[in-house]
Amino acid sequence: MARITLPDIALREHTLESLPRLRELRELSFARRPAICIERARHVTRYLKDVDQATDTPEVRQAKKVRYFLERKSACFHDRNLLAGSTTSKELGAPLFPEYFALTLWPELLTVSERKKNPQKLSLEDARELNFDIFPFWMERNVLEQARKRISDPTGLNLFESLVFFIAGKAGCISHCVPSYVAMLEKGLDGIIAEAAGHEKECRQAAGDEERRKADFYQAMGIALEGVKAYAANLAAEAERLAARAGDPTRKNELAELAAVCRRVPAQPARTFREAINAIWLCQVGIHAENINMAMSPGRLDQLLYPYYRRDIEAGQLTVAAALELVGCLWLKLADNVAMVPEASEELFGGAGTVPAITLGGVDTQGEDAVNDLTYVMLRATELLQIRDPNVNARYHYEKNPPAYSQRVAEVIINTRAVPAFFNDAVNIDALVGQGEALEHARDYAVIGCVELASNGRDYPASSSIILNLVAPLEMALHGGRRLISGDHQIGPRTPEPAQLKSFEQFWEVFKTQLDWLIGQAIDLNEHFGAVHQEMMPSPLLSALFEGPMQKGADLIRGGARYNSSGATHIGFADVVDSLNAIEQLVWTEGKFSFAGLREALDNDFAGDAGEKMRLFLKNHTPRYGTEHPVARKNAKNLIRHLFEVYQGHTNYRGGRYRPAYWTMTNHAGLGALAGAMPHGRKSGELLASGITPVSGAAPELTACLNAVADLGGREVPGCWAFNMKYTPEADQEAMRDRFAQTVAAYFRAGGQQVQFNLMTYAMLLDAKAHPDKYPELMVRVSGYSAYFKDLNEMMRNELISRSQYTLSTGAAVPFPGLPADGKKAEPGGQTIGDWLRKALSRLLLFTPANRPWRDFDKCLKSEVAEEFLQLLLRLMELTFAVNPAFRKNIEGFAGRYLFKSADGEVTMAAIFKDGTMEVREALIDNADITVTFRNGRTLLNLILSPRQDILGSMLRQDVKTEGNLNYLYRFGAMAKQLQLMMPRI
Amino acid sequence: MNRGLVGDIGRYAVHDGPGIRTTVFFKGCPLHCPWCHNPEFIAGKPEVAFYPERCLGCGDCVAACPEGAITVQGGAARILRSRCSGCGLCAAPCPALALKRTGQWHTVESLTELILRDRLFYETSGGGVTLSGGEPTQQLGFAGQLLRSLKGHGLHTAIQTCGLFSWEAFAEQALASLDLIFFDLKLFDPAAHERWLGHGNATIIGNLRRLLRARPEGVVARIPLVPGYTAVENNIAALAELLRSMGVRRVALLPYHPWGLSKAGKIGRKSGNGLPGKPMRLEELSVWQRYFDQAELLGC
Repeated sequence: MARITLPDIALREHTLESLPRLRELRELSFARRPAICIERARHVTRYLKDVDQATDTPEVRQAKKVRYFLERKSACFHDRNLLAGSTTSKELGAPLFPEYFALTLWPELLTVSERKKNPQKLSLEDARELNFDIFPFWMERNVLEQARKRISDPTGLNLFESLVFFIAGKAGCISHCVPSYVAMLEKGLDGIIAEAAGHEKECRQAAGDEERRKADFYQAMGIALEGVKAYAANLAAEAERLAARAGDPTRKNELAELAAVCRRVPAQPARTFREAINAIWLCQVGIHAENINMAMSPGRLDQLLYPYYRRDIEAGQLTVAAALELVGCLWLKLADNVAMVPEASEELFGGAGTVPAITLGGVDTQGEDAVNDLTYVMLRATELLQIRDPNVNARYHYEKNPPAYSQRVAEVIINTRAVPAFFNDAVNIDALVGQGEALEHARDYAVIGCVELASNGRDYPASSSIILNLVAPLEMALHGGRRLISGDHQIGPRTPEPAQLKSFEQFWEVFKTQLDWLIGQAIDLNEHFGAVHQEMMPSPLLSALFEGPMQKGADLIRGGARYNSSGATHIGFADVVDSLNAIEQLVWTEGKFSFAGLREALDNDFAGDAGEKMRLFLKNHTPRYGTEHPVARKNAKNLIRHLFEVYQGHTNYRGGRYRPAYWTMTNHAGLGALAGAMPHGRKSGELLASGITPVSGAAPELTACLNAVADLGGREVPGCWAFNMKYTPEADQEAMRDRFAQTVAAYFRAGGQQVQFNLMTYAMLLDAKAHPDKYPELMVRVSGYSAYFKDLNEMMRNELISRSQYTLSTGAAVPFPGLPADGKKAEPGGQTIGDWLRKALSRLLLFTPANRPWRDFDKCLKSEVAEEFLQLLLRLMELTFAVNPAFRKNIEGFAGRYLFKSADGEVTMAAIFKDGTMEVREALIDNADITVTFRNGRTLLNLILSPRQDILGSMLRQDVKTEGNLNYLYRFGAMAKQLQLMMPRI
Repeated sequence: MNRGLVGDIGRYAVHDGPGIRTTVFFKGCPLHCPWCHNPEFIAGKPEVAFYPERCLGCGDCVAACPEGAITVQGGAARILRSRCSGCGLCAAPCPALALKRTGQWHTVESLTELILRDRLFYETSGGGVTLSGGEPTQQLGFAGQLLRSLKGHGLHTAIQTCGLFSWEAFAEQALASLDLIFFDLKLFDPAAHERWLGHGNATIIGNLRRLLRARPEGVVARIPLVPGYTAVENNIAALAELLRSMGVRRVALLPYHPWGLSKAGKIGRKSGNGLPGKPMRLEELSVWQRYFDQAELLGC
């Protein structure tokens, strides 16, 4: 049978009308609101509290913990999906991983259900369980705090916790990889368990620590997989129970089939397409019992599932429509979970899904065309569903894949306006070969999460280890190692001030000095986190679904995978290149401005008429990345090369190299808001460009832009990039489709690694921003993943709107009409924090003795004098603990020492919790668990008592600096919030 | 002729021949059609275009102008066109890109290099290069050299011409290096042609006749449909008959679009009388299409 037998590869006869189940499930997916599921947090906490054996190795402990949870995980059938299993107990659920950042939810426990932006439902009962039983257990135990204990030089940690230099991904996850399901499908989990048991037996018989360690690992693999089997058995039992009770014969039959599938897989080999697809889904659910739901990517499903599809089709057991329905069911299942996001993080990650990436098409391990019927079935499912997750990616080899394929992918992009993204096989395969991967393995690459590359099931690339803000070292280079946002504080090495420099080359050296220093700090911190992960978060379950660990007898976290690396991605690439271009061309080559003059204008954010004139000149006359100007090309290439060389010079704790990448999720918006003015005429607070994309408006010609980006592709970008293109939709879709595909092919031949699209106009996005209700399902490409426009924060909406829009019938950028004036960001609820508290307190006043200092409190809220406010807050808290037993329950068994200081040193307050009491002191104390230094009263208010409590935001704006265990701050925030919510009701 | 005066280079052009193309707009044209899409390319010398909405009124251009042709009045610059030599020195210091020189001198090498940057786009789409204008045959020596250079690189070549050229020179310099010739016809009546376009049409029609003999396959006759000028019943009927009698195989109609009206003002040129401000509608287009057995539509 030929690989392509479909009479119409677009499968036009199959629609949501002909597939009512998919239509119904799709409607449900849009109607559902996220809810937080505490099941996992509950069971892993109970396991560690009550069952854990101190003598277990980290791998065995993790396996038992995971099995304990999976055995108890609810078996839910939320809807008529044909696949059994769900990531959480909720229809659309956010699982909690207390090992990472779940405790950031603490201050929001009572408000997360109601918050304005992307609320996540949490019942009062669950909130209480988290508050009293679960979160307190993790105070000292999450990855970040475990790392803090090990780190002697806190420089890197401080940089991370100020959030504007780099983000250390491992504090929140590793995940980001593509497992291999081949063995699971062929042998069943039982087969893998038997293999592990065999190895374990051999190792136990051999002598030595090394062999014992391996034996324990093999044992752990088996234990973890038993958990997945137990979950499948529970699902089967539940389906049987529901089938027995079901009145509708169709439903009864469906449930019986679901039960039969779960009785078979994933324990035993899959026999049919349906069993195979459900087995993969059950393993994906199992993996998420162990690893957080962040870019855990199923990989090349059109290749993996094709043998099952073909066999069933040939045997007449499966129709194309039924296969399409099953694929659609899997897509919808992959979208059944979201990440728990605290409110302030919405600024950085707002609207993101969990980005499980599917990879289609491309070439096989022999380098030949791998596109098959199932590729087109999966493209059709993607086209029909138009949902945020999974993140579907199309590999394209311009010499091997037929034009019909690239045209079909282009057509799906045109129809969905956003997906899939296009990946260049020739260059990406070569990039992985450059990393030492065997050619046949590199050819079998799949996309992780946003854009990162991995040989399917062989590569453990921890691709989100470092997210580095390139604007930070640029600012530091302009200010002798300091940043405007953190004032006079010396951060990086003391480098010469711009006025002392004699050439652009000297400035380039200064920039590299700051950059390399920052990279060194980020890598150092990542290594510490890696060590913590080895102790705390091994992945025996995931290891069982990889090539390497079984052979090496080592967990993924100990380098068990065939290939190992750590990924570092970069924010602000285009803006930094343009800034370098401006400095080189306009300061040194043309002498239009002095470096000192430029620095001064930057420090003043181009204020005044003269400043604005200078800004315009810089904006309009800087050689821009995204054009073919030789200076711009040189600086872009130099920066890419330099980053490549620096990272490749570092080896990680698993023995792999660091790989640079260029994707930004939504960080470029959040970090842009916090970055000062830049030399290419960017004012402070403006958006940064996304991924590897040129700055909006800087690249007026489509081909020049594509050439300039493609010029950077290849071995020096092993982590790949996200390149965002926006095209004007056109009436003649067929002509557009062909030009679209031809343009992608040319860009790929020139070396481009990846490109993704939004087919939208400025006007349409502006309308969607003004009238979100008109566009409830509008899906956009962010930077490596898709999101619903309505879920994005203000900054990201503006970023999407202002991206350069090109028209394929002219090859030119459409002039940007500008953003409407938004005005200042309104306080939530339309009132200031002070107003809110005053109102609450005035009600309180009616019921409290007249001699209480409420009037003073009111006065201090008006003036926002930090000292008085803090004193009153702490006294009020102390008092409430004394008189209110329910509130006191918060601190039973809690010992914690807090120190609050103002930046000028004038205010010092301490709170000591011990034996169910709280003591307030106006003095320094020793051994504080956390020290909070705040800029002024207003910032402290924002931190502790804002209706929109914003601990992360406060840190991000550098309003507040913390030293010590952040969980104490979250816990304090939770208590302050409770107090605040109690007040009007006292 | 080592240098050619080029008004602009349009990359990723998809309406000027097959595939994705680069269109080179030569500066200078012997005609001056009132509806010209590219009025900034009519004059055969560099000019300065001015975009008043961008002007800050800073006056940096005043000092840069060697002719004293710029003044600042009421917070915005003004160019005295009679004094302006088109040197473009005023554009360099302008922070806001309110001044732009139209017309750059290029060598064959520099143009070839620029055109080859998009070679991959031509290859994946079956595209190439189109010489347009202005009128490329006004700089026939340079155009011929450029075409031979492009042919040397194996590129597909096309030209868009008003047809007013010396046949001998065209045949000698350009014809052999051209794959496709877009040949424009506007008005059938020689007197009207003379009156509106500044030149009669005898040479043009004669050239088309010769061209059809030399390259019957490679010629597309184009008629711009301009309300009140060309898109008039008598004219279209006569042109249709003429083309039929000459055996023209490919005819293309260019629906009217008011592109040129706003562009003319930027270089201080008056735009045509009585031209509509809106593009031609499809219904009207189909009326004119009926005069031809088969006509392609371009540019819509």
